[in-house]
Amino acid sequence: MTDPATEAVPTRRAPRGGVHPQPSVERTDLRLTDISLDEVVELVRFEMPDDQIEPLLERGVLPGCRLCPVRRSPSGDPIVEVDGVMLALRRETAGCICVKRFAAAAD
Amino acid sequence: MSGTTASGVATPPRPPSGTRPVVALVGPPNSGKTTLFNQLTGLRQKVANYPGVTVEKHVGGLATPAGDIEIVDLPGVNGFSTRTLDEKVTRDVLEGRIEGLRAPDALVLTVDCTRLEPQLMLVEPVLELGIPTLLVLTMADELTSRQGELDDARLAERLGVEVTRANARSGEGLDAVRTFLEHVAHRGPMPERPCPVISNVPQGMALPVVDAFAERRRIVREAGEHARYRRPQPDADTRRIDSVVLHRFWGPLVFLAVVILVFQAIFTWAVPFMDGVEAAIAVSGGWIASVLPDIWLRDLLVDGVWAGVGSVIVFLPQILILFLFIGILEDSGYMARAAVIADRSMYRVGLQGRAFLPLLSAYACAIPAILAARTVEDERDRMATIFVAPFMTCSARLPVYALLIAAFIPERPLLGPVLGTRAATLLGLYALGALAAVLTAFVLKRTLLRGKPSSFLMELPPYRLPTPKSLFLRLWDRTGVFLKRAGTIILGVTVVLWFLTQVPRGIDGGPPPLEQSALGQAGQVVEPVIAPLGYDWKIGVGLISSLAAREVIVGTLGTIYGVEDAGEDSPGLQERLRQDLDLGSAVGLLIFFVFALQCMSTVAVMRRETAGWKWPALQFGYMLGLAWLGAWAANALL
Repeated sequence: MTDPATEAVPTRRAPRGGVHPQPSVERTDLRLTDISLDEVVELVRFEMPDDQIEPLLERGVLPGCRLCPVRRSPSGDPIVEVDGVMLALRRETAGCICVKRFAAAAD
Repeated sequence: MSGTTASGVATPPRPPSGTRPVVALVGPPNSGKTTLFNQLTGLRQKVANYPGVTVEKHVGGLATPAGDIEIVDLPGVNGFSTRTLDEKVTRDVLEGRIEGLRAPDALVLTVDCTRLEPQLMLVEPVLELGIPTLLVLTMADELTSRQGELDDARLAERLGVEVTRANARSGEGLDAVRTFLEHVAHRGPMPERPCPVISNVPQGMALPVVDAFAERRRIVREAGEHARYRRPQPDADTRRIDSVVLHRFWGPLVFLAVVILVFQAIFTWAVPFMDGVEAAIAVSGGWIASVLPDIWLRDLLVDGVWAGVGSVIVFLPQILILFLFIGILEDSGYMARAAVIADRSMYRVGLQGRAFLPLLSAYACAIPAILAARTVEDERDRMATIFVAPFMTCSARLPVYALLIAAFIPERPLLGPVLGTRAATLLGLYALGALAAVLTAFVLKRTLLRGKPSSFLMELPPYRLPTPKSLFLRLWDRTGVFLKRAGTIILGVTVVLWFLTQVPRGIDGGPPPLEQSALGQAGQVVEPVIAPLGYDWKIGVGLISSLAAREVIVGTLGTIYGVEDAGEDSPGLQERLRQDLDLGSAVGLLIFFVFALQCMSTVAVMRRETAGWKWPALQFGYMLGLAWLGAWAANALL
C-alpha cells in the first residue's frame, strides 16, 4: 500500500488512480488553509522562502505528496497528516502551501 | 577484555590504545536511539564536551569479545541543514571534524518503522556515506500490532546495509546489534580517508533544494515498495487522546493542569528532599570540620567549598523532580502537544512553541533551560529563549525572597483566607519576572533579533507509555550534567570569595575583620553605586557574593551581621536587616533579585551555548541595568 503520489499525479478519477505522464506545476490559488478536515489534497508548490521550506521538505512535505488536515489545534492552527505522520503547522505556513483537490480536478 | 574472546571469533591484533573503532549512533528524534545507546553502554557513558564545540555528546565505551569500541550517541536530527546546533554537531561528528574524535568507522542507524518513509528520508544522506551501517528498526512490535508489514531482508538488499529489528524497551534484538559491533571491533579502525561531506543537498549537484528532496523521496519510496512496506493503521488511542488534549476547550485546560502540577511538584514535593540534602550537607560539613586540624585548609574546605557547593546541590531534588516530569511528558508524547498549544501565544511575544519546555525548566534553574533551548529550531528564536530564560523565577531566588518578605512584609489577609499579603508579594515577584521576559522577547525580536518571522513545525508522535528505565537513565544523565556544570563554576567562585574574606592577613596572621577584608573593601567600593538604592556596603558585599549563586547572599548577610545559624527563617537576621533597610529599599532589593543575573553559572553556560561573550555580556548588563532601575524606583517611590 505504498503511496505512489510522488511519481503519479492522478487526474479526474479516484485519488489513487492513473499515472499522468508529466507532473506539471499548475496554477492554483487553493491553499492548505482552505481545505476542510479529513480531505486529502496534493501539494503543488510552496510560496515561501527556501529556508522555511527546508524543514518541511525534511519531513516529507514536498510537491506531489498527499496532505490531509486531521485536526485543528485550540488556536486554530492546522495539524496535517503526511505519510502517516502528524505534523503541526502554523496557519501562516499553511497559507503559503498551494494544494489541489483530487476530486475537483475534474473539469 | 579481549580475554573473553568467544569461540569462533579469532582474536584480532589489538589496535593501539586511543584508536578504538568509533561507532556513531544516528537517528531522527523519537526513534528510540538513546534508549538503544543506554542499553548498549549501561551507565558507563560519559558526557563529553569537546573543545570549541558547544554541544555535549554522549560517548560510551563498549567491550566486545573482539575488542573495545567507542559509541557516540548523537542528538536526534531532522536533517543536515545545520539549522540547529544539534544538526551541526551531528554533521561535524560524521564528517570527522571534531578534535579528539575520529570519524566514525561504522554507523548504527535507528529508524522508527511505524514511520519508515519519513524517518528514512531524514537519514538517507548518511546511507550514502558508504561505511558499514546497521539499520535498526525500532517499534517493530507496534508496526505489527497496527497491521503494518515490512520485509527486512528486502529492505537490506535495496539499501545495501544490514537491517535488524530491535525492541529497545524489552531488549529484544540487541544481540544482532552486539554482533554487528563485534564485527566492527574485529575489523578495527578504518584507515585514514578524506572527510566525507554530508548535507541535505548532494555535493556537486546544482539542484534546487526541492529537487534534491524529491530525489531522496523517490529513493525512499522505491526502497519501501521493494521491501513491501505497508504503513500501519493510525493509532486509535492517539486519536482518542488527541481529541481531548487538542480540543478547543479542554486542550488548554489540560495544558494548564499539567503546568500547575509541575509547579506544585517543584515547590512542594521537593521540599522534604531539599531539607534532607541541606541537613546532610550541614552534618557532613560538621564532621569534616571535626576530623581536620584547625588550619586555613579546614576553613576553605568547610566554609568555602562545602557550604558553597552544598548551596547548589540543595536544588538537586527540585531539578530531578522537574526532569522526571519533563521526561514523562516527553516520552509520553504530550510535550509536543503542549508546544503546539503554547505556540500561538508565544509567537505573539516573539518566541515559539518549542521554547515552552526550556522556559518551564527555567522555573527550577536557568542552566538546564538554556541547554534545552537547543531544541528550538530557529536560531533567532533560540537566542531569544536563552536571553529571557533567566527572568523566570528560578529556585535560587526563593530563599532570598523568603528572607526579605518575612522581614518586611507584614502578614495580613488580602483575599479572605486564600491569599495573604506575603503570598501575594511572592506571586507578584513571579509575575514581574514573567512580564520582564515577555517584554524583553518582544523588544528583542524587533531590534537585535529582527528578521523574517520564524516557522514552527512540530511532529506529533503517537502516545507511548514511558518506561521507568528510560526515565531513570534520563535523570541519571541530567544529574551528572547539572552537578558538573554548576559544581565546577560554583566551586571556583566560592573558593575565590572565601579567599577574599581571608586577605589581607592581620598582624597576628589571622583573617581580617570582614569590613577590612578584600571582600569588605569591594563592598565599600560599590557603595556609591548602590547608595541611591538605599543600600550600604554590607548589602554591597551580599550582592557581590550572590554573584556565585543568588541564595549565597543569605549566608553572607548572616556572616556580616554576625548572626549565628543565618537562614531565611532566622529572626535575628530579619531584625538586623530591618535596622539597615526601610520598606522602599527592601522592596527594591526584591526587585533587584527579580531582574539581576546574579548567577555566574548561567553566564558561563550562556557563553558556551552562544559561542562567545557577546550575548552573556549584553544580558548581564541589561539585566543589571533593569535591576538597578527597578530597585531605584522602588526606593524612591515607597
